[in-house]
Amino acid sequence: MSAGFDLRSSKPLLLAGIGNPDRGDDGFGPAVAARFSKLSLPNVETIACRRPLDLLDRWQGRRLVILVDAALPHERPGRLFRLEPLRQKVAPAALSSTHSLGLFEVIALGRTLDLLPHRLVLYAVEALGFSPGAALSPLVAAAVGKAVRRIARECRAA
Amino acid sequence: MPTKKLSLGQLARVEGEGTLELALRDGRVETARLRIFEPPRFFEALLRGRAFSEVPDIVARICGICPVAYQMSSVHALERALGLSVGGELRLLRRLLYCGEWIESHVLHIVMLHAPDFLGYADAVAMARDHGSEVRRGLALKRTGNEILRLLGGREIHPVNVKVGGFYRLPTRAELDALRELLEGARREAVALLRWVARFPMPDYERDYEFVALRHPSEYPMNEGRIVSSSGLSLSPEEFDAEFEERQLPHSTALYCALRRRGSYLVGPLARYNLNFDRLPPYVQSLAEEAGLRSACRNPFQSIVVRAVEVVFACEEAFHLLAAYEPPEGPSIPLSPSPGEGHACTEAPRGMLYHSYRLDRDGTIEKARIVPPTSQNQASIEEDLRLLAESLLGEPEEILCGRCEQAIRNYDPCISCSTHFLRLAIRRS
Repeated sequence: MSAGFDLRSSKPLLLAGIGNPDRGDDGFGPAVAARFSKLSLPNVETIACRRPLDLLDRWQGRRLVILVDAALPHERPGRLFRLEPLRQKVAPAALSSTHSLGLFEVIALGRTLDLLPHRLVLYAVEALGFSPGAALSPLVAAAVGKAVRRIARECRAA
Repeated sequence: MPTKKLSLGQLARVEGEGTLELALRDGRVETARLRIFEPPRFFEALLRGRAFSEVPDIVARICGICPVAYQMSSVHALERALGLSVGGELRLLRRLLYCGEWIESHVLHIVMLHAPDFLGYADAVAMARDHGSEVRRGLALKRTGNEILRLLGGREIHPVNVKVGGFYRLPTRAELDALRELLEGARREAVALLRWVARFPMPDYERDYEFVALRHPSEYPMNEGRIVSSSGLSLSPEEFDAEFEERQLPHSTALYCALRRRGSYLVGPLARYNLNFDRLPPYVQSLAEEAGLRSACRNPFQSIVVRAVEVVFACEEAFHLLAAYEPPEGPSIPLSPSPGEGHACTEAPRGMLYHSYRLDRDGTIEKARIVPPTSQNQASIEEDLRLLAESLLGEPEEILCGRCEQAIRNYDPCISCSTHFLRLAIRRS
């Protein structure tokens, strides 16, 4: 458990869809957040997030934070992964940007500064591409509903 | 020509993508080229045929770090084209919004991107293990800047509340009071940030730059002023083309901007500070002097200290602007489309940002021109790198590489604005 988590906290669960909706499959996180918010689940706050560094302010003191992001293409675009980055060792890809820290750097920074939620769950979809202006690729778009259902189950059980 | 190419990996913590190529010959650095390989984004062409009212929201998309600067230069230039002047409380709110962007952008760069270079850490995450309270302070200060953007801009990234003639929505008194409380704490934290960076070990390096910045009759420049330089230049934004020219170079998709008869020049915090020290409030001046700065500073590495001075200034200024604010009659001045041409410069966190627009009778954009700070500084960055690398040729390559990275970050370059980051290649012949 992170010492940054306050047991007295009554903050709602947080779902953060990370990514840029104008960069192809990077829009997966915001697309999941948009569809999930329509479920209007009680005690769940849903946000779309462009800069992982901003999460440090948003996830402090929360019991459960669920992040949704797109992962680099590998073998099967649209494949959905569930990870617990505070419990599992994850090897992040090298960063190509700059003015913003990557998600795993932000988690590492949160760990160092004691600014993490109690539990962190990451749903990541394997992307096909991140072309500027492109829509979600069909297989990734098809994974949006599946991710929303799995996250909703997890929130209800939390 | 036989050459040796060394790929020294990715240079992180600068916005954009590019490669720095150093060509060495007979123990000297022959050329230093900052190659931009991100495709140009054609914003100026994209604006043609659009309504003037669409411009602030479109140009905000040029940069995720300094969208306010693009919005401010665009609205000022368009208002000039329309013969409109926005003053009073609306002008005050624009300056307040700009303060928010300076705070957010500068603090991110100082604490998360540049400080690790000076203290010998690979990145901010490694630095946070030993300097946790300073990183926490940086995050809190950045949050204050974000909050100003969220309140006045409607959201933190790519704000949507700025319009030609003013704003779409005015903040409420209660919202501003909450911001004022936040700024009270930020003023103290900003001074502590300045005192922290003032203790950093500083490389001994100076160059005789031609500094270029705006100068206002009474204010430290943000939204307006004449374009002045350390060599005596003084002109209005309308006269920009008379003294500055953009050039296309084969190795970069970004245009290089130079002074017509003199070549490279420098914009940004160091230029603003050198040309406008007397416009800083006495309290900020004395803190700058306490931090070891004089009224003139030609060491680009000290730009990190100057940025911290500007954070102190922006927090002070924002606090006092809020104290002076009285709600205006409406969120914007009514206007109607008319043909015309307008030019404006404002001071983005990274330096002077020029916009010009020509409108037709119904307010459609016929021509747009945008000259961002990084393309103005590019020649100066290359010259710094050439001289710096030459002085370090006897050093091991990782030291040379590290110092070049640190020198590039002196400019907080936003390469994606000029046309993510950087590979360093050394060619030896």
